[in-house]
Amino acid sequence: MNSEKFFGITDNTLFICIVFLSFFGLVLLYSATNQNIDVVFRQGSRLIFCFVLMFLISLVDINKIKSISPYVYLLCLLMLIITLLWGHDVKGAKRWIVFFGFSFQVSEILKIILPMTLAWYLSLSEDKEIDLKKLIISFSIIFAPILFVIKQPDLGTSLIILLCGVITIFLGGITKKHIIYLLTLFSFAIPIMWKFILLPYQKQRIMTLFDPNLDPLGSGYHIIQSKIAVGSGGFFGKGFLNGTQSQLEFLPERGTDFIFAVFAEEFGFIGALILFLIYLMIILRCLHITYKAKNYFSKIFAGSISSILILLVITNIAMAVGLLPVVGVTLPLISLGGSSLLSIFIAFGIMFSINRRI
Amino acid sequence: MRKSFLDFGRVNAEKLLHNRLNILIFILSTLTLLLIGRLYFLQVISLDHFDTLSETNRIKYIQTAPRRGIIYDRNNIVLADNSSLYSIEINIKEANNIEKIINAIKEQINISKEEIENFYKKKSKYSHHNSIVLKSNLTDSEIAKVLSIRYKFDGLDVTASLMRKYPYEEITSHVIGNVGYIDKVDLSKIDKKKYKSIKYVGKTGIEKSYEDTLFGSPGYKHVEINARGRQIRNIDEKPSVPGKDIHLTIDIDLQKYMYSKLLGYSGSSIAMNPNNGEILGMVSMPSINPNDILWRSYDSYKEIEKLNSPMFNRSINGLYSPGSTIKPLVALNAIHEKVVNLETEIYAGPFFQLPNSSRRFRDWKPEGHGVVNLQKSIVQSCDVYFYMLADNLGIKKLGSFFESFSFGEKTGIDMPFESKGVLPSEEWKLKNIGYKWTDGDTVITGIGQGYFLTTPLQLVYAASILANEGSIVIPKLNKNLDIKKSKKIIDREKFLKNEIKKEWWNAINEAMFKVVNQENGTAFWTTKNKRNNISGKTGTVQVYSLSQENDERENENLPKHLKDHSLYIGFAPKDNPQVVVATIVENVGSGSKFAAPFSNEIIDYYLNKIRERN
Repeated sequence: MNSEKFFGITDNTLFICIVFLSFFGLVLLYSATNQNIDVVFRQGSRLIFCFVLMFLISLVDINKIKSISPYVYLLCLLMLIITLLWGHDVKGAKRWIVFFGFSFQVSEILKIILPMTLAWYLSLSEDKEIDLKKLIISFSIIFAPILFVIKQPDLGTSLIILLCGVITIFLGGITKKHIIYLLTLFSFAIPIMWKFILLPYQKQRIMTLFDPNLDPLGSGYHIIQSKIAVGSGGFFGKGFLNGTQSQLEFLPERGTDFIFAVFAEEFGFIGALILFLIYLMIILRCLHITYKAKNYFSKIFAGSISSILILLVITNIAMAVGLLPVVGVTLPLISLGGSSLLSIFIAFGIMFSINRRI
Repeated sequence: MRKSFLDFGRVNAEKLLHNRLNILIFILSTLTLLLIGRLYFLQVISLDHFDTLSETNRIKYIQTAPRRGIIYDRNNIVLADNSSLYSIEINIKEANNIEKIINAIKEQINISKEEIENFYKKKSKYSHHNSIVLKSNLTDSEIAKVLSIRYKFDGLDVTASLMRKYPYEEITSHVIGNVGYIDKVDLSKIDKKKYKSIKYVGKTGIEKSYEDTLFGSPGYKHVEINARGRQIRNIDEKPSVPGKDIHLTIDIDLQKYMYSKLLGYSGSSIAMNPNNGEILGMVSMPSINPNDILWRSYDSYKEIEKLNSPMFNRSINGLYSPGSTIKPLVALNAIHEKVVNLETEIYAGPFFQLPNSSRRFRDWKPEGHGVVNLQKSIVQSCDVYFYMLADNLGIKKLGSFFESFSFGEKTGIDMPFESKGVLPSEEWKLKNIGYKWTDGDTVITGIGQGYFLTTPLQLVYAASILANEGSIVIPKLNKNLDIKKSKKIIDREKFLKNEIKKEWWNAINEAMFKVVNQENGTAFWTTKNKRNNISGKTGTVQVYSLSQENDERENENLPKHLKDHSLYIGFAPKDNPQVVVATIVENVGSGSKFAAPFSNEIIDYYLNKIRERN
C-alpha cells in the first residue's frame, strides 16, 4: 500500500476527514460556549492527546489487539465498579471517576470495548455457527457492564450500549431461528418486567425517557429550545456566532448533547447536508476496510464500528430535532467531552491497524 | 440432523457477515434519509414559524416560589405565618439607567437615603440575583404611584412576595428562629436551582432545622416575552408545591408564661414532658422581635448583639456550671460505687480540706451542717458532704457517670447549632487548659463548679432521667418527629435501669421532694401551694471567687456581672411526672431566690392548666 505512511495512518481520506471534523468541532465549540476560549483550549488539548493515542494504537498489530480484548473488557468492568463505589456525583448520578485529575466516564468507552470483546469471543470459533451456549455467553458479556451502568443510573446510555452489543452479535452471525426466539422473548419479557420487577420510581424514569413532558423542567425545555434553534436556522443559517438561541443562552447543554442545534442554527440546512456528507465519507472508508479485512475478528469489529458510528450520529441529531428522547448521546468527533472523544479515537486507531493488515 | 453445527466454515461466516452488514447499512441509511427529511421540514418548510418564535418572541422560564410551611404550636395556634409584601425591584440587567429610575420614583414616593444606600450595597453583594429590592413594605397608594410610571422604564417592577411573620414576636424568637436573606455562606449549602425565586432561607431555630420540610418545591412558568422583556402570555405552567406545615410541641400559653417570668432577666428556662421528650416551653432571655431583624443586613446584626446578646440562644448554647443541681447525680454515683449507703452519716463542718493542703473548700453555710446523711445533704445542699463524695469517687468515675446523662455531648434535639458543653476529665484539662488535673479540681466538680459546663437543655434532659428513674427520652420540638434511640442511648438506659437500684432512685427523688416540701429544704419557701407535689434541686453558681479568708458569702454589693447565677431543676407530680423544668437566671443571686420560685410557678401553671382542661 502507501509507502509514505505517517505512523500507522493507512487511509489518508479517513484521516483527513477525522482531522477536519474534530478541528471544526473546536470552532463550533467556540460559538457554543459563548466564545469561551478556555473551554476550547481544554478540548483542544484533549484532542491532541487523543490523536497521539490513535497513532500509537494504529501501530499495534491487530492480532495483539485481539488477544488483549478480554483483559480490556475486565478492566472496564473493574472501573465501572469503582465508579459506583467512589464515583463523582453529578446531578445525583455517579457516572464519572477521576484519574490524576481527569474525570472519566467509563460507560462512554464501553460503546467501543463491548463490540471489540464480542468480536474476540465470536471469532474464537469462527467456523462454527452460533449455538445456544455461545449466544448466552455473548449476552452475558453484554449485560454484565450494562447492569452497572443502569445502577449509576444512566438508562439512556445503557440502551445505547445494548444496541452496540446487539449490532455486533447480529453481524457475528446469530441464526435466524435465534433472532425470532429473542424477539418473541423480548416482547413477552417487557410487560412482565414492567408489571412485576420494576419499582415505581424506575418506571417513572423510563416514562420520562419516552415522554419528556413528564419532566418539563428538564428535557421538555431542552427540546423546545433545540427545535427553535434548528428551525430558525433556515436554509443557509444565521452565520457563525450569530445564532440567537445559542448566543443568548436559551439553549441548554450547548457543548455536548445539543451541539448539533448550535450548528444547524448557524449553518442552516445546507451546512447540515455537508456535515452528513463528511460523515458519509468516513463511514464509506470504514465499510471499505470492513469488506477488505482479512481476518474474522477484524471484520466483525470494523463492521460494528461502521454501524455504531451511523447509529450515534443519527441518535444525536434525532435528539436535537425532537424525534428521540434526550438520552445523552454525543455527536462523534464534535461534541465537548473527553470520554466520548477518547472512545472514538481508540476505534479509529484500531481501524487503521486493521487496514495495515489488508 | 443439520450439518451447520459441525462445519459451518469460515467462508460462509464471512459471507453471512457481509450479508448482515448490508441489511444493517440499509436500515441505518433509511433512518438517515428520514432525518434529513425532518431537517428539511424544520429548516426550510417551517422556517417562518420558528423564525418568529426565535426573533420576535422568546420563551422565558420563570420559577414560581412555593408557599413556606406554617409553624403551629401543639394546640394549632400559628407561630410563624406568611404575609404578602410588595416591593419595588429594579432588574439591573434590563435597566438602562438606574439612577434615572430611582430619581423618577423619588418624585412619586418617599425613599430614604438609607434605602438607596442599601440598594447599592445589595447590588454588589447579592450579585446572583438580577432583581434587587429598592423599597419594601409598600402601601397601597405607593404601589399605585410606582405602577403609574412603570411603563416608562425597562427593569422597573413592583413585585409581591411572601414575607415571614412571627405573631408572638420576642416570645418565640429563639425556638422558631427566623429566616433571612440568602448570603454567601447559605449559597454554598443550598440547591441554587431551587432557590432561584426565593430570597430568604431559614437561618436559626426550627426555621433552619426544618428548612427542607417548610420550603416545598418551586413551580415554573414558560412565558413568551417580547424584546423588551415583558411577559406576553403563559405557554405552560406547573404550580409550586407548598411546604409542609410543622406542628411543634410548644404550648404557647406556657411559653408566654415562662417569658413573663424571666422578663427583665438574662437566662433561660425549659419545660419538657419527661414521658416523651416533648419540649413544652423554651425561652432564652433577653429576646428580640424577629419581625424587626428579618430584613436587616448583617451590619445591623452587630448593633443588636451589643444589647446583651439577644440573638444568642441560651437554652442550647449558653454554657453554665451546673452548680448544686448536679448533686443528685453525684449522690447516685456514690451509692452505686459503694462510697456511701443511704444510711451513712458523716460530720460536715464549715469546710473540707485535702490531705497535705491548706486550701479550704468552704460550705455555703458558714457554720456547716453538722452530722448529715445522703438525703439530708441533698435537702440542705450540703457542699462539704459532696466534696467528700467527689474526692472518694475520683474524676474518672464521676465523669463516666455524668456521661450516661449525655453531659459533654449534644442531646440530639431537632434544633441546629446545639452546644456540647464541657464534661471535664484529665485529658480534657491537659488538652484545653494545659495543666494537669488536680484533686482540688475533682472536689469542686462534686458541687458542679470548676470546668464542668452544661447547657440548660442538658440540665432538663438530666432532670428528666431523674424523674423517669433511668428512662431516657430525647428532647424534640416537632410533634410528629419519631426519634429512634441510638444504641449508645439504649445501652445507657440499660445501665441506669439495671445497675442503679430502684430504691436508690426513690431515695434521691424523695430527697428532691423534701427540697421543696420539707421546712428545711432549700426551695421550701418558693411555693406556698404544695398540691402539685413538686420535686427539685436548687443551684447557686459562683461567677466570682471569694478569697479564702473571707467568709462573707452574701454578694449583694458586688457589681451585677459578678453576682451568682441562680439555677434550678424540678419536676412534678412526684409519682407520675408530667413536666420537668430547668431554669437559669444569670447574675442575680442564689438558686432558691430566683430560679426555684420561677420554675415552680411554671410547673404549677402547666399542671393547673392541664387539670382545668380535663
